[in-house]
Amino acid sequence: MKVGIVTLVFGFVIGYLGQRARLCYIAGYRDFFLTRDTYILKGMLGTIVGAVGGFVLFNFLGGNVPGFPMLLDTPGMNLRSAWLFAMVGGLGLGFFGCLSGGCPYRLHIMAAEGKKTFWAYGLGFYLGLIYFNVVTTRVLEWVVQALR
Amino acid sequence: MRRLREFKVTAFQAGLVMGLGAALIQAYFEIIPPPAYGICMVCHPKDLVNWISDHLLGTTWGNVTVSVDWPVMTVLGIVLGAYVAARRNGEFRVEPAREPIYHFITGFLVINFGLILGSCPIRIIIVSSYGSLIGIVGYACMIIGVVLGSAWLRRRARRQVRERMQK
Repeated sequence: MKVGIVTLVFGFVIGYLGQRARLCYIAGYRDFFLTRDTYILKGMLGTIVGAVGGFVLFNFLGGNVPGFPMLLDTPGMNLRSAWLFAMVGGLGLGFFGCLSGGCPYRLHIMAAEGKKTFWAYGLGFYLGLIYFNVVTTRVLEWVVQALR
Repeated sequence: MRRLREFKVTAFQAGLVMGLGAALIQAYFEIIPPPAYGICMVCHPKDLVNWISDHLLGTTWGNVTVSVDWPVMTVLGIVLGAYVAARRNGEFRVEPAREPIYHFITGFLVINFGLILGSCPIRIIIVSSYGSLIGIVGYACMIIGVVLGSAWLRRRARRQVRERMQK
């Protein structure tokens, strides 16, 4: 119950702010690469500052921040497949995210603004999610076994 | 009811709120394990869909520990918040779809690669801030992917311009 309410409220706040600030986590790098525009890139900088500052502060204050900083204790670190997934997933997410016009967060916001283009994106997104659960998971399990 | 005064927010301030908020809800509101799970736009939809499907349709897709009893509902919050913000500022306009099939396919690919990585472009920043080495490698690869994608977009745009000039 608590999990649902907390994330719903927090989601509402960041949805509102994201719509006002036009924040996007892929367009930031893209705009900087294509036009040297740094307005959105500063949003990424803000997130890094906020997250690092927050984790350090709450760790100091005794909040629930186990194993911070992770560094070499990252879970799955000694699995070769985890490194492969990080690289393949990262490259694919960056490339196709760039082609789709923004990160999933930004495109959900655009869909909520009434742009039907991104309703089509959402349809693909959620059908892809079901496809992942049915097919891609099996492939990943196979890769984990093969690289063990 | 008196309306709240509309405020201006820059990308930096919004990003700061997102990073701090993600750390805060992990530290004091039990959005853990897995660690650094405050915001994720591919894992949270997955948890929500899996939870609904497991409870209504009896599938066994499973969930991370946070979302076993109640699912995380960040996505609903974001869509709702963005809708309210757009409505209040007169930016809500239903526009017809442009290239729907292209966007359908990119959406399909984005969620699959996102779930292979295990995080969205926001969570990868939060995971990297948590100090995870795999997260930092994934983040670097994502930036390389974006640069490649931008180069591809630029090439495509140039080719279109050239074709139009020749007509």
